[in-house]
Amino acid sequence: MRPLSIIPAHAQPMRTLTFALGVMCYLATLALGGLMLVEAALGQWASGISSEITVHVTPRSGSDVKAETAKALDILSATDGIISARELGERHVEKLLEPWLGATPALAELPLPQLIAAAVDPKSPPDLKALERRLASAVPGASLDTHHLWQTKLVRTASTLRRLSLAILVLIAFSAAGLVIFATRSVLDANRGVIDVLSLVGASDGFIARAVKGRFLRSASLAGLSGMLGGIATFAVLGLIDSPAGNSGLGAASAELLISAPSVAAATYAVFLLVPVCATLLSLATAHLAIMRQLRGS
Amino acid sequence: MVKVALSLGPGGDELVHLENIGLRYDAGPEILRDVSFSLEAGSFSFLTGPSGAGKSSLLKLLFLALRPTRGLLSLFGRDIASLRRSEVPRLRRRIGVVFQDFKLLDHLSAFDNVALPLRAAGRRPESYRADIAELLDWVGLKTQAHMMPPSLSGGEKQRLAIARAVVGKPELLLADEPTGNVDPSLAQRLLHLFHELNRFGTTVLIASHDPNIIQSGNVPVLRLEKGRLH
Repeated sequence: MRPLSIIPAHAQPMRTLTFALGVMCYLATLALGGLMLVEAALGQWASGISSEITVHVTPRSGSDVKAETAKALDILSATDGIISARELGERHVEKLLEPWLGATPALAELPLPQLIAAAVDPKSPPDLKALERRLASAVPGASLDTHHLWQTKLVRTASTLRRLSLAILVLIAFSAAGLVIFATRSVLDANRGVIDVLSLVGASDGFIARAVKGRFLRSASLAGLSGMLGGIATFAVLGLIDSPAGNSGLGAASAELLISAPSVAAATYAVFLLVPVCATLLSLATAHLAIMRQLRGS
Repeated sequence: MVKVALSLGPGGDELVHLENIGLRYDAGPEILRDVSFSLEAGSFSFLTGPSGAGKSSLLKLLFLALRPTRGLLSLFGRDIASLRRSEVPRLRRRIGVVFQDFKLLDHLSAFDNVALPLRAAGRRPESYRADIAELLDWVGLKTQAHMMPPSLSGGEKQRLAIARAVVGKPELLLADEPTGNVDPSLAQRLLHLFHELNRFGTTVLIASHDPNIIQSGNVPVLRLEKGRLH
């Protein structure tokens, strides 16, 4: 026969705490998942941007843009660190302009620049400054775009989003700690008679704290697991309803986060598991401090 | 000073020693005034007096639920004025208390209520199961072991409270009106239990204003009136 729990199981503050902590763990899971989605997306974009450079050959009066493009292609192909270079073609340039100018036949009449996309060897990238100088001297209408501006913006965006997610997580942790302190006081008040009896039969503060913390352990682990599973379910639903084939939106990213590559999914679940673990540890530590403080003050 | 030493002769160890004890709640009048007495190990005594005389307050001092506002109180040779908070539980485990209102935990079974002092002392359930079954048998509650206190009668609760008070084999047993809620025949049976415990060496102090109980044995009586010991 297992001894019954000394603190009654039906203590009302614990139910409210379990619910509120569950909601917080759900929000924490969403914040963590959102952070991972942003990190993954930015990582993909940044690697795409940094592994490619673009050369613009702008038509000028009297210039032979085709010949200049071919010359620029030759220079690129002869440069160490450039894996490949290809001309994007007029149709591609027109498609890039369509969002701003519309699909109008007048585009064909405009003096559009020629674009060359070159893939960069990430292990031994070319000397971009030297390449820029060579292009400028050999092809007057050419300009090199290393996407440095975009990379800077992406890094700044990633950093802002990361800080925002961490701030949300810290806020959630503080709110959870506040809730636990409030619940601890409520539990101690609601069980004042039980605690007095324990004290009178020779229970130490540590024993009483352990008895009360037993309730918090159950409450926090249940809330943590429920919140985490709720968060995972939300990402799974997003992946199912917003993930048409080939889409690279939030739904597809969510699906990829949870079920795609085993290594990615394993890392995701490992990070999500931190939610119930941290919620339980935070609750126990906060409850312990609050209990001991209250007992010593009584 | 009143000195109680029945079972042991003069020179026996003093378990409880009070000297000029005064007690007041906040800024109120003194509930206990210049109370001085000592209990020697193995003694059996009654504490009596009219309602409001300060019997319960005196017992509260003895089980460390209150601290005196003046005077010297020593338990088991320790001056409680120098007692640290962390030392209180260890001292309380040497004292068994039968409360007037029982103070049983309604959400625990009779068995678990009795086991409480042992759990608080860090004992594992395997080590005390048989002892508690035997103790419940001794107080006549063997078949009620799994019942919750609300479903027990007043007399059964009283015996349960006594079982919990003695389960840790305390050196000092304090009982506050332990026969107040039971009929005379059960009161005599309970008193017999206390005498039996005393025979095993436990020092017993029973607070009661029931003259039948107090006069039932040839034991010293501490009489409190208006906070003073007479």
